[in-house]
Parts: sequence; structure tokens; C-alpha cells
Amino acid sequence: MFPDLRRDVFVPVAAGLVLFGLFVGAGLFYQGALGGQERLVTFAIIDAILVLGLQVYVGNTGILSFGHIGFGAVAGYAFALMAIDPVEKAKRISDAPFGLTDVHLGPWAGLAVAVAVVLVVGAVVGIGLARSGAESGAVSATVITLALLFVTHEVARNWPDLTGGDRAGLSFKIGGALDSRTPLYLGLLGAILVALLYARSRGGRMAQAAREDDLAARAMGVNPLVQQMVALLISVSVVSVGASLRVYEKGSILPSDFFFNLTLVTLVMLIVGGRRSVTGALLGVAVITAGRELARRMGQDGFELFGLGLDDAPLDWIFRENLKTVFLGVAMLGFMVWRPDGLLDDWDLDRWLHARLRRWRERGAEAPEVPEVVPDLVEGGPGDEAVLVADGVTVSFGGFRALDGAGLEVGRHEVLGVIGPNGAGKTTLLNVVTGLVGSDSGRVALGGADLSGAPSHRIARSGLVRTFQNLRLFGSLTVRENVEVSALVASSTRRHRPPPDVDGLLVAAGLWDVRFRRARELDYGTSRRLELARAAAMSPSFLLLDEPTSGMSDAESEAMVDQVRRMAGLVGAGVVVIDHDLNFITGICDRVTCLDAGQVIATGTPDEVQAHPAVRAAYLGTSGGG
Amino acid sequence: MVELLQNLIDGLGRGSIYALLALGVAVVFGVMHLLNFAHGELITVSGYAAYWALNDGWSWYLTVPLIVVVAVLTSLVIERVAFSRVRGADQFTLLLTSFGVHFVVFAIFLLYVSASVKTFPRPGWVTNTYAVGSLRIEVFDTVVIVVTLLTLAGTTWVLQRTTFGLSLRAAAADFDTARLMGIRSDSVIRGAFALSGLLAGIASVFWLMRAGSTVPSAGIDPMLKGVLAALIGGLGSLRGAVLGGFALGMAEVLLRSRLPDSVASLTEGVVFLLIALLFIFRPQGLVAVDHAERV
Repeated sequence: MFPDLRRDVFVPVAAGLVLFGLFVGAGLFYQGALGGQERLVTFAIIDAILVLGLQVYVGNTGILSFGHIGFGAVAGYAFALMAIDPVEKAKRISDAPFGLTDVHLGPWAGLAVAVAVVLVVGAVVGIGLARSGAESGAVSATVITLALLFVTHEVARNWPDLTGGDRAGLSFKIGGALDSRTPLYLGLLGAILVALLYARSRGGRMAQAAREDDLAARAMGVNPLVQQMVALLISVSVVSVGASLRVYEKGSILPSDFFFNLTLVTLVMLIVGGRRSVTGALLGVAVITAGRELARRMGQDGFELFGLGLDDAPLDWIFRENLKTVFLGVAMLGFMVWRPDGLLDDWDLDRWLHARLRRWRERGAEAPEVPEVVPDLVEGGPGDEAVLVADGVTVSFGGFRALDGAGLEVGRHEVLGVIGPNGAGKTTLLNVVTGLVGSDSGRVALGGADLSGAPSHRIARSGLVRTFQNLRLFGSLTVRENVEVSALVASSTRRHRPPPDVDGLLVAAGLWDVRFRRARELDYGTSRRLELARAAAMSPSFLLLDEPTSGMSDAESEAMVDQVRRMAGLVGAGVVVIDHDLNFITGICDRVTCLDAGQVIATGTPDEVQAHPAVRAAYLGTSGGG
Repeated sequence: MVELLQNLIDGLGRGSIYALLALGVAVVFGVMHLLNFAHGELITVSGYAAYWALNDGWSWYLTVPLIVVVAVLTSLVIERVAFSRVRGADQFTLLLTSFGVHFVVFAIFLLYVSASVKTFPRPGWVTNTYAVGSLRIEVFDTVVIVVTLLTLAGTTWVLQRTTFGLSLRAAAADFDTARLMGIRSDSVIRGAFALSGLLAGIASVFWLMRAGSTVPSAGIDPMLKGVLAALIGGLGSLRGAVLGGFALGMAEVLLRSRLPDSVASLTEGVVFLLIALLFIFRPQGLVAVDHAERV
């Protein structure tokens, strides 16, 4: 579950405890030393649980959800129906369906039921989201979550037998509302730890990779839909705990309690703090709670709030009753316009602590020893003598036939070049082989396994891993995390191969010194090397490289020859490479296939193909066959 | 049969307003890929303008152009103040920016006017009806349908026959390419917001005539209708948005008149649910959001 125990479990737990202490400490200081309202702190804790739940989904998948408070409504009603005393329930809903009037489970079992119900609803919604093609920033996914919010709200309003309806609602008498904060503290601590640990877990890392680039994640063997589902279920569980506690603390539930307002407040808290950061979520709750309270009191009292006798009559137009609503709207708009990543972006306490810890341990020591690279060109595991074959592949885009019976064949320990003029269908062939484009007919097979029409993440797991012509790195992850994601996938899906050595690959690719930099900060050549290292970390049977030297100088592309050979050798993979640079192709390839107008026109050694009349004709545009 | 015909006419009247709103949403989506949750604020703002004017003794004849002008100006101001700053941002930022605009406008009226409902006189003829055979047709619906058809015809003319319309359609089809072809993104986007504001202004006139009141949260309902109708029609498509508007109006009238009361009040939820199901079962079919990427 966790790639590195110290980094992914111990430090996050310690950081979580610190965050919990800081958050609760600030609250207690406010209500104790500053004489603030207890109620404000209590609700800030509950908001924090809700926002952390929201962060698990929104932060890690990048999908904007308006629906989490809808899940909260489901949880809130489930909890209320289970936990309220039957005598009290009978006063409001004497004739509840399913005999729910007589059910009395108490708060703890009620909480468990609430979570269970929400998990079921979450699974159904999650399947819907997956089918709609949810990915980071998808409008359709956001609309579906918005639909959930509205549907739960309308059902709650219009089903008075179950919910007590629009005005009456359900209220509590189980010895009054919550009598101590212990359950809230437990809930908060739990939510912080769940959010931190999920973000550092295998699944969390894969979800983040898909958030950064859905297509590239698939090409590295990640199935984003599965990871989004996991994130959703964890996230709605946390939300339902928060919602149940909110109902318990308030002592009542109305449809409007879990609707637009709460959705807005929790979203603002999340984005102000920084949606990709757990620390940010907590900071956002604190900042917005404090800001709203300040706005409310300044709206009432103006500067007198600070004991200042200033004449605030000229500011009458600001110090008004509903100032806190304005504050919320302006905070949302302002952050979206000027700082869409929030106060902290993806800075998180545990990552900072771990970086400090690492530097402290490495202090005074020699530069880290460069891990030794042991090329493993010959030996592979079972099934590794596989040959990659694509055969009779035909693809049409509308009326345009991009591929017309093209194919390729490449054996292990072989480097095959694919050349051809622009528009010959090289990239399309690679897209078909890696499952990004469906073919009208034709077959792709690796060893004995038929991969035609398989989804791209399964093809990647079978051993065909690609790079992209237009760089597709996981931009806001570090260089090392980029490589680590595919190593994670490989460690569970490519067990028959020797596990990839992340640090070894980083050294071999010349990325060791920049391994903690963000991928999007790298220069062009380094980014290319990172794409290669990331693909190699999948322990592929074949590396498929789409124009690895595009945009490089001659010297750089010459260096790329060694680079590709070394990386392929390191993981024992065959190579298929598309390129325009003929020096590069002749330098690296054992064999070359030339495509023109969607068909293979020549295959052979680089020299043979270059001398082939049809190839010369295709490149020079003269009629061939001479 | 007569009842169905009656429903049809009612639905057309209602759907006309939705079609205007949806078209405004679709035009903006086309040039910015922004699903504008703040579209209803054009009605909120022009609603307060109407409240002020009518209670100041203006006649409706003067108020109608005022409403339209205010809606267009508001649309341009919102574009300038907020949306121009997030052009090209990811969906996450775009969606929340429009949400933020919605809440800021809401809060401003809450702060400076009041949370309570402000009423103004409706024109006398709004409730008049006339009979055709056994049908009772509202004068209001007739006016709405006629004006909407004229507006749509005018909009079609602008889109088909003018350089601006061509730029707008080109930008909606493929924004980056359109820009490479020399279309000035600034003026196209501003033009789209102005057109969107104009359409919303006309819708607003009818909306306010029927409502006769406004509140700070008045924009939510028309916003939802416009957004939902645009979603039904498929977000990229302008024609789809208009059809979506009429379909939504029809569906509402039919649901309200045919279903038992307890279910009829669920209309919004039902429509939302249907759209969610549409996204789920026909993710690529009816929704023309362009996801094609070069790899």
C-alpha cells in the first residue's frame, strides 16, 4: 500500500498529529484566552472534517465536485433516522416507510449505518462518473455531482414521511446534542490521518498522476477510473462522518442544512487553503472561519470591534449586516482569479518534514553514492522472449484512411525504427498498438497474448509502454514521483520482471540532481529524458518512443542514442522508435520500417531501407520504382 | 387533444425564455469553454434596475430597453472584471470563477438592498388571455413566442451573415485554430458576452414581467434553466441549446400538468437526474464538448 514506510506512513502520521494539535490548539486558544464563542470552534472542527473529506476526492483527482454535501445530506438523514429516539421520531414522522419510525440504534451504530448507506450511494454515483468519462476538470462529471446535490435536496424536501419535510425536519432528543467534544476530536484526527495517508498511498499517487495527465497515466498502466472510485469512496466516508457529527451537534436536520450554502462554504475553504494539500484544507477552514466571523462582527460593530473609537461613518457602506456573505463570495472569486491554487498550492507539512529530515541525515555526508547501473540485456523472466506483432492495421478518421493494412514486427533485444514522411501514419500506428486509438481492423499481439482493442492501461501492464511526441509529464509531481508512479504500477503488475530500481533509473537518465524538482520546471531535453525514465520504470517488454529527439540539437540527439540504449538495456526491453532524424535512426536501429500513406513500403536494415527506391520516392516525392 | 395542444402552447411560451437563456450560455461556452453559472445574475441585476425604474414612475415601455441595456452592460462588466482574467484556465478555475461571480452579485444585493422580496407593478396585459376555439391562450405567451422567434431569426442572421458571426462560430468550433487564422480573440469573446447579455436581457424582460418581483437570489432559477437547457442540447452546439430550451419548457409543462402534485414539485430534480443519466449513458453522443487531443 505504501511505497516507503518512513516517508509515506511515519512522517505523515507525525505531521497529522502536529496539524491536529495546531488546529485544535488554535481553537482552544481562541475560545479560552480570547473569550471567543465555543460554538464557532465546534463548527470549525466539523467543517474541517467535511472539507478534508472533500479534499480527498477533489484534491487527488482534480474533479470539481458540488455533490459532496449531497452525500452529506444522505448521511445526515440516515444518521438521524437511526439515532433518534422512536418516541421523538413518532412526533414528526409517525408513518415512516420501511418501519423506520421504530428503529433505534443509538449514535454509534447510526454513524456506521450512515457511512454504509453513503458508500452504496457513492458506488452508484462513482460508476456513473466513470461512465461519463470523468477526468481532471471534466464538466460532465461536475454536472453529475451538481445533479446529485439537487436530487438529494429535492427528495429530502418532498418526502416528508421520511425526512420530516421542508420546515419541520427531524430533531434530536438523545440526551440533547453532543455533550462533549471527544467524538469531534476523534473524527477530526481520523479525517486528517485518512487524508494524509491516502495522498501518500499507492492509490493516491496513481490518482494524482491521472489528475496531472489522464492519458499519460493510462499509458503508464494506471486505470484512473478505479483510482477515482477509491478516492470517492474514501472521501464520502469521511464526509458522512462529518455530516453525522454536524447533525448530532446541531440536534436537528433540515433539507437546507446540506445544500448550496454549505457546499459554497466548504468549497471556498478548500480552494482558499489549497485543494491539493491536506495542510491547506485545514488552513482554509481556519482562515475562512476567522474571516467570516471577523466580517460578521465588523458588519455589526465596525471598528469598535477593535476598541477603536474611530469614526467609521464614512465606511457605513461596508460595515453592514451581511458582510460575511460578501466575504465568502469575494474570497472565492478573488482566489480563483489571482491564486487558483490557493494559499499553499500542494505544500504539505509531512512532505516538508520529510525533506528536512532527509537533508538533516545527509548533512555533512558525501554526496549520495551513485547507485550502480547493472545492464541486464539478456536475462528476462518467463514469457519474455515475446515478440511484438502488429498486423493489417487499418484506421480511418472520417473519410481519411490514416492506416491501410500497416504493421510491424519486433523481437526482444532489438531496436526497430519507424520512419516515413509526415502524415504517413507513424504516430497513429503507435497509438493503435498502445490502445489510444481504436482500429477498424487488424491485430496487435505481444507474445501469445492478443492485445487488439484492449484498454491502454492493460496494454501498458502487458509490457508495451510509450512516450509521447508532445511531452506528457505529471507536471506538478516531482521528477522522482513521476518515475515512482510507473514503478508502483510495475511492482504489482509486472511481477515476473526484476523490480525497477527508481534511483538507478534516475542516475542512469542523468536526473539524480533534479529528482526533487517539479517536472514542469524542467528544460526540454531533461523532460525528454524523464519521459524515457518514467516509461522504463514500468519494466516494459517493449519501449515505444514517439519522436524522442524532436526539437533537439544534433549533439543532444546523438546523446539520445546512448540514452535510449542504456535505459532499454537497464530494464531489458526491446525498442520501437519513431523519428525524423535519420542520423539518430541509423545510429540506434537494428532494423527500420518505412510507412507511407498508411502502408508499409519497406523493411530492413537502415542502409537497405534508405537505399530502397520506394522510400526515396516517398521522401523526395518523385515517382518510385526506378 | 385540446389539453395537449394547450400544454404545447404553454410549453412553447415557457421554452422560449429558456431557449434565449440557453443560447446565451452556449455562446459563451463556445468561445471560452466556460459553463457560466453566473448567467442568471444578468437577470438579478436587470431585475433591480427594473425595480428602481418602475417604482420611480417609469413606464414599462421605457423600462424594457433599460433592462436589455443593463443586461448587456452587466455581461460586459462581468467579463472584464472576472472572466477575462481566467481565460485559458482549467475547467476547475473557470467553473468556480463563475460560481464566485454569482455569489458576489448575490451578496452585493443582500448587502445594499435587502434580503427581502422587492416587488414592482407588472404590465396589465400579462394575465390577459384570448380564446381560439376551446384553447385559452395568454397574450403574454404569444408575445414571448413571437419576440423569441424574431430574436432567434436575428441571431441566426448575425451568426450566418456577419464577420462577427463567422468568427464566433469558428471560435466555437476550434478556438486555437480560429485565433491562428487571425480572429481577434479579445473582440470575439467580448462580442460573445455582449450577445449573451442581449439574449439574457430579452429573456429578462419576460422573466420580470411575469415575476413582478426580484430578490438577491433571483438569478439562481433562470441560471439553472439556461445551464440545464444548454446541457440538454449539448454544450458545444448553439442550435442544440435552443432546442434544449424548448424541450425543457415542454417537459416542465407536461410534468406539471400530468403528474400528481407530489411528484410535479420534483421537476428540477427530475431534469437534473435525466441530464446526469444522459452524461452517464451517452457520454460522447449528445454532448459536443470537444475532447479530441493530439497525442
